[in-house]
Amino acid sequence: MIKIENLEKIYRTEEVQTKALNNVSLAVSEGEFVAIMGPSGCGKSTLLNILGLLDEPDGGRFAFAGTEVAKASERRRAELRKQHIGFVFQSFNLIEELTVFENVELPLIYLGVGAAERQEKVAQVLEKMQIMHRRNHFPQQLSGGQQQRVAVARAVVNSPRLILADEPTGNLDSSNGNEVMELLTELNETGTTIVMVTHSEHDARYAHRVIRLLDGAVVLENLHQPFTA
Amino acid sequence: MFKNYFLIAYRNVVRHKGFSFLNIAGLALGLTACLLIGLFVYDEQQYDQFVPQGEQIYRVGTQRLQGETTESTPMSPPMFATSLQQELPEVEKAVRIMSLQSKNLFRVGSKSLYEEHGFFADADLFKVLHLPFRYGSAAQALAKPSSIVLSEAMAERFFGPINPVGQQIKLDTSTFQVTGVLRNRDLKFHLNINFLLQLSPAVIGIPEKRMQSWGWRQFNTYAKLRPGADGRNVAAKFQHYLEEKVKPQLAKDNIEYTAFFQPLREVYLHSADFKINWATHGNITYVRALSVIAGFILLIACFNFVNLATAKSMQRAKEVGIRKTIGASQPQLMLQFLAETVLLTLISVVLSTVLTALLLPSLNRFTGKSLSFDLIANPGLLALLLGLTLVVGLVAGFYPALVLSSFKPVKVLKSTVVTDGPLGRVQWLRHGLIVVQFALSVFLIICAIVVFQQVSYLHNKNLGFNKDQIMFFPMRGDSMTKNYEAFKNELSQAPGVASATIGYGFPGDMVAGDQIIVPINGEPKKFSVTQLLVDYDYLKTLGLQLVAGRNFSKELKTDKDQAFILNETAVRDLGFATPEKALGQTLQWNIWNNKNPDSTKTGKVIGVVKDFHYKSLYDKLEPAVLQIFPDAYWKVAVKLKGENLGAGVESVKQVWSKFSPNYPIEYKFMDDNFDEMYQAEDKLKTLLWTFTGIAIFVGCLGLFGLATYAAERRKKEIGIRKVLGASVSDIVALLSKEFLALVLVAAVIAFPAAWLAMSTWLQDFAYRIDLPLWAFGAAGLAAAAVAFLTVGYQAVRAATANPVNHLRAN
Repeated sequence: MIKIENLEKIYRTEEVQTKALNNVSLAVSEGEFVAIMGPSGCGKSTLLNILGLLDEPDGGRFAFAGTEVAKASERRRAELRKQHIGFVFQSFNLIEELTVFENVELPLIYLGVGAAERQEKVAQVLEKMQIMHRRNHFPQQLSGGQQQRVAVARAVVNSPRLILADEPTGNLDSSNGNEVMELLTELNETGTTIVMVTHSEHDARYAHRVIRLLDGAVVLENLHQPFTA
Repeated sequence: MFKNYFLIAYRNVVRHKGFSFLNIAGLALGLTACLLIGLFVYDEQQYDQFVPQGEQIYRVGTQRLQGETTESTPMSPPMFATSLQQELPEVEKAVRIMSLQSKNLFRVGSKSLYEEHGFFADADLFKVLHLPFRYGSAAQALAKPSSIVLSEAMAERFFGPINPVGQQIKLDTSTFQVTGVLRNRDLKFHLNINFLLQLSPAVIGIPEKRMQSWGWRQFNTYAKLRPGADGRNVAAKFQHYLEEKVKPQLAKDNIEYTAFFQPLREVYLHSADFKINWATHGNITYVRALSVIAGFILLIACFNFVNLATAKSMQRAKEVGIRKTIGASQPQLMLQFLAETVLLTLISVVLSTVLTALLLPSLNRFTGKSLSFDLIANPGLLALLLGLTLVVGLVAGFYPALVLSSFKPVKVLKSTVVTDGPLGRVQWLRHGLIVVQFALSVFLIICAIVVFQQVSYLHNKNLGFNKDQIMFFPMRGDSMTKNYEAFKNELSQAPGVASATIGYGFPGDMVAGDQIIVPINGEPKKFSVTQLLVDYDYLKTLGLQLVAGRNFSKELKTDKDQAFILNETAVRDLGFATPEKALGQTLQWNIWNNKNPDSTKTGKVIGVVKDFHYKSLYDKLEPAVLQIFPDAYWKVAVKLKGENLGAGVESVKQVWSKFSPNYPIEYKFMDDNFDEMYQAEDKLKTLLWTFTGIAIFVGCLGLFGLATYAAERRKKEIGIRKVLGASVSDIVALLSKEFLALVLVAAVIAFPAAWLAMSTWLQDFAYRIDLPLWAFGAAGLAAAAVAFLTVGYQAVRAATANPVNHLRAN
């Protein structure tokens, strides 16, 4: 699914060069659940952004679903992104002017899905996330847990092959956090690949594999049995 | 997809009420100003457009070089039409009209009313100018000396709503038969025709021979060229003809002019500075100025849009990031933002449509027009409005859409402060736009001040005579004109009357131009001067000052036939060096006498009066000769005593009805008459102040919005500064400094432009103020003050807030 080799990312200001990623290589197979961990500033988010085709690497190779994308155009990356990738953020990143339903509907609109099919799909996924009763509410009328469920719903509504989650439980209390982790696990079990950045050892245990980063480099990869509660 | 865009747009409008209000209010005001001006300008441009084959029709006037300027007049001699028709095969038809100038008393049965705006016209008039007829037909309308064609309004006044063709109407003692009624109630035609009589010597009451004159410029000539003929060629040919055949003849009388062909379609708007023009006219300068102002205001409103939208972009950045992450492409996002702008514009357009409809009656009252704003009757206007919505929406929305849609999701989703490359550029752009907005405002303020000053000057300049409390009116009826001396005596003694004078040539009224002959070394030399035909009390009634010699005196019998008084300009122009030296000089005048055209009056200069402005201040002072000439005792001026004007007017009326009971008195006050001369400038002044106000207000709405966001953006900085010991005034200075600097730059740009525009405008006036330098300073200060007040409110609010709140929030 994902194969990166010697990936580099450098941030430059006028005086300082910072290597955010230094020769990072890793592979994620179809159906895997991978957690990326490491201290603040270690390059986790940079890596996730590159994996999500939101950012470009400065060096190295990156194959996404078999195609090389390290130097792909913005248009091509946007195309792949909307077809194959769903995002879940720590701060939910829902659009405040849109209702729950409309937020979830948005990726389908950009994909050019017809209205009737959108209705059906959104309804389906909202049912699954158990927030159908909130469909006409605006994000600020929901609790944090509910907002993150909407965000997950939005991430999966177009059945992406890959979900990238950036500290998805970071803004949630533990019970809401667990709920979200359960959701992700269920998605993984139905075949969706998940890459998750997290600070939480607890959350990381839901993953098949943990990649630890330090100062922009992979320091450790350890496999463990999927966590089952 | 579009539904979603408009939904989001709608929710954004509702959610950010303040922002939406600033944008919509500014744009709606700007659009309203534009619509009102647009309707006015469009209407002005419609004049004479209805005339079929108008592009082949020219008004042929005359002009001459006066010093450095060309003095043009639509007036031409009767021979112009005759010779155009006979000598130039390219001319299909040439016709003349001549104004009756005064008001005339008409009678039908027991109904009698004064009517003005009457013209004599060649019978073929309608072959050149196809005016629409309501009753009767153009072909025979002016065929007979007894024919009269009426306007719709006049026909209704006398005959009611019926067809009056065939009915009789009396003008003084002659009887005319109505042959047609023009359909000209709202006709956009440069001649305000109330009635038409046949132009023939018999009807006018002049000898046949006068129609052969090349010097008597009392007509307007219209020439219709054959299809394909080029106006410039015909004009050149005619000029050539004049040079060869006519010039030598004119030179003998010291008359000099050239002919000029003015296309009919330009007659209305391009005649504002013509001398002696009976036609109603607009003013292309004012039309252009208003159009430019409309453009300015719309531009300012659009800039607000760009400024506010880009300033607010930080709030929208996150949304952009999310949408991009989810799969939106940049074109899709641009479309979304453009849709928002177009929606806001649409709301503004709808609002401005309502505002325009509400304000139109006031504009109509103010301009005396009957503009209509009927969207249903005029689908073109509706299409125009929709087009305007799209254009304004796209123009104002394009750049913000480009900026917003180019945000990188990685950057905007993570960080709270966006310091992206484009934002630096955006900052520049925003500052640039503010500078342009303020430059436009400063420019308009300067213009408004200068116009105000010049208009006050026109109204208040010492004219060299006292125009206050003078009523004047034409004499009517035989018993009054034949007994003018008795009439004048009774007037002078009436209670409330200070003095009375009879003559022809009162300030603000029509004056006669004629030649005066100065025998220099035995050779008669002719000079064109204004002839003021007066009586013994003219100087006293008008309060003229003698600078040399004496006034006319009843006691000296020779003063009636052998005395002249000059003004100072005449002293100079006639070559007498000083007023004292002018005294005793001999002058000759060809007396106006139909029976004996060659009779001459010879006399001496007995006095010199200080120059006084008997015309508007558009005109340079001309040489004037005052003399006693009872044959031209047509008008009366009465100076009333100050205490009780009403009683004075009453006693004048009583004397009038004693002498002329059959005619109602029609009087005016001289100062009103002078004020009327500057109506166009008065209106320009009002319009300029109004629209300058709107422009500034719209600009301030935008500035207020920007200041709000600036204060918002710098909350944390302000907090830190305050913690470190900054005072409120330090903070206010910090926030205001930036905007004030922009105003300064704007002023530097605006000054030369305003200086150029206003010196050009002032040049049209023979008497004008010096460009007031303080206006520039005042405009700059006013703009700075407005900016400071607008920004200051936000600055003070930010500065007095508790710093801890902001620091914690961040």
